[in-house]
Amino acid sequence: MKWDNTALFSDDNPADAAFRHEVRAWMELACPKELRNRPSRITPPEVRPWHRLLHERGWIAPHWPREYGGMGATLTQQIILVEEMSRIGAPTPFPHGLSFIAPIIIKVGTPEQKAKHLPGILTGDMTWCQGYSETGAGSDLASLKTRAVLQGDHFVVNGHKMWTTNGHYADWMFALVRTDPDAKPRHAGISLLLLDMKSAGIAVKPIRTIRGDAEFAEEFFDNVRVPRENLLGELNGGWRISTLLLGGERFATSHPRNAALLLNRARQVAKISGAAQDPAFLQQLAVLETDLLAYTAYYRHGAALQAAGRAPESMSAVIKIAAGELSQRASELLVQAAGPLGPRAVDIETQAEPLNPAEDMFEMRRVSVGGGALEVQRNILAKRALDLPS
Amino acid sequence: MEPILSEQQSLLRDSAVRLCANLGGPKRARQLRNDAVETDREAWGEIVKAGWLATAVPEQAGGLGMGMFDLSLAMEEAGRQLLMVPLVEAAAAAWALAHADRQSSKRALNEALEGKRLLVPALAQAGWGLEDSAPPKARTGTSVVLEGRLRFVPFAATADGFLVAARDGRKEPLLCVVPRDAKGLCVESVPNVDGSTSSEITLDGVSPGADAIVARSDKARELMAAMRDLLALGVSAELLGVSNAALDMTLQYIKLRQQFGKPLGSFQALQHRAASCFVDIELNRSLVYRVFSAWDAAQCHPAMVSATKARASRTALEVTRTALQMHGAIGYTDEHDIGLYYKRAITLAALYGNELNHTTRFFKLTAQGA
Repeated sequence: MKWDNTALFSDDNPADAAFRHEVRAWMELACPKELRNRPSRITPPEVRPWHRLLHERGWIAPHWPREYGGMGATLTQQIILVEEMSRIGAPTPFPHGLSFIAPIIIKVGTPEQKAKHLPGILTGDMTWCQGYSETGAGSDLASLKTRAVLQGDHFVVNGHKMWTTNGHYADWMFALVRTDPDAKPRHAGISLLLLDMKSAGIAVKPIRTIRGDAEFAEEFFDNVRVPRENLLGELNGGWRISTLLLGGERFATSHPRNAALLLNRARQVAKISGAAQDPAFLQQLAVLETDLLAYTAYYRHGAALQAAGRAPESMSAVIKIAAGELSQRASELLVQAAGPLGPRAVDIETQAEPLNPAEDMFEMRRVSVGGGALEVQRNILAKRALDLPS
Repeated sequence: MEPILSEQQSLLRDSAVRLCANLGGPKRARQLRNDAVETDREAWGEIVKAGWLATAVPEQAGGLGMGMFDLSLAMEEAGRQLLMVPLVEAAAAAWALAHADRQSSKRALNEALEGKRLLVPALAQAGWGLEDSAPPKARTGTSVVLEGRLRFVPFAATADGFLVAARDGRKEPLLCVVPRDAKGLCVESVPNVDGSTSSEITLDGVSPGADAIVARSDKARELMAAMRDLLALGVSAELLGVSNAALDMTLQYIKLRQQFGKPLGSFQALQHRAASCFVDIELNRSLVYRVFSAWDAAQCHPAMVSATKARASRTALEVTRTALQMHGAIGYTDEHDIGLYYKRAITLAALYGNELNHTTRFFKLTAQGA
């Protein structure tokens, strides 16, 4: 039996295997070569042609119901699409519109909101960003202060959002704003607004990250007027709906292939640096590969339970912790494997693809902070899975 | 996370949970340790009577024709309840006998399934941390004569016989059943920290009879490899149960124990360590389920086995160490039960290859890419 570190990834039934075959054949031909295996982070305008191709093929929104232009796909089919995209090194279309806000619009939006926003998300013409974090509200999101006051048929928004991925590219933002400053508990006074980024009074400033590129932006709101019909769901009901659909999304962003890809890069760069002959490197590689196998087993087990509606509450936090730490450790081994090439700020040419280990490692620092720091995930586990007192 | 089970498997699992909880537990384990008992014969008798040994044996060989996955559910429970029973060993031997194609293996298998004769594998330690250990030599002619020694065999003092892997004059492997009372066979047992034993079997011109051979050459090679993998996998399932039980006991303790006017479990430093243990155990649970399922589907790459044993060993040691730490001084006493789990973890982590041995094996089996 030949070994393959993706061996545990797929155990498709015949229908799924046929779907995978179809996806693979199409992607091999359709995905533009220049978009594959990019060592640097890709921007929304760069990913748009690929987004459009997937849309034309009908595969851009596997998780949406068919009536809204989605595939109504099973979780396994959704995972297959992610797997096949990463297999050829294709970029993943940004999830903020497709996976973060669209499912909420579909679930609680008005017919007008659906008609206005869903088509642009499907075609990729509209780029969305998520306005949640603030300087004083990160992992402790419920303490957010950006204020929205209803005056007649408009909300007037004042405040500041931060760490907004693609904020400087976005046409629209979905933002959690405080609509009741006196609410107890605090999260009961928060609403979800859809905000046109061209509105008067919004100033956007890109934030240069440790990686050196502008992944995030911050936004300043100075008496920004938002029509009342852009309130999504109920007034002061934003917290509940914003956490409605996170479970399924985590499967797309936490696929074990992310770590597998980094380990394969470590192997490639080790051939150039000579680390491939170093027993210490090989030992660490083996440990990470075994951890990758364990995480892969958990991931597929979780996906099967999720599809059956039986996933435990702890799963989301376990996935976040395990996938985050595994990817970080893999990226650190990649830099170790590069030896003196590790600190290089330019791409390293390898047989297969140009690599930039330091950039990969910088990128992975994000995964233990974004979307709730891993320490917060451990708090969640202690409380909900282990029933420990506070 | 819960395994995904059929209705029949759910019933099977429930009965394993009940049976092992009735038979085992820390009190029983302590008693056996104090009495220096190698095998809990009473518990073992009940397990065989309940048909667990027959679970993974094919129907045409006289078994129940279910899978190793089903049997692993019982192995996990045996670990959780600190049972001193040779379930993993007897299951590996039964698997080999059921898949050997000789008449002689059938009788041995039937006797094992009926509980008349406990057979355990006796294999050389190469790959398990003792690289210079060679299998016994077999002189074959009209009958077979065995010469050599086998080390670190568990349950050897109570076994009625051994499935010995030897090498013939052409250095070809050969698998044969050797009765415990065969002339020239000597067992010397040494206790482990958890009360279990590890034995050295000396074969001094042992002649087990002409029909003792159950497999030769390629078949013997295949069955030996399968037994080695099954032993490592079975112990991984046991380690999963040990880890889980130790974490559960610790969680109970830190919820009750008060210091600085608060339960210990309310301190974030302890909460985060407990959460990390939980994550490690959850991943191992899925891995163990997955790899046993792959075994039943004949898709189990040996590297998966080593990954599983390496991780199960590492996690069990980490979790039981953490458990001791969270118990504070009482965890350092012999009186408290948490130490029983720590010592069981130490023994099982080393059995059939420890984390280092299996990490190395994993690397060798997967090296082509590096």
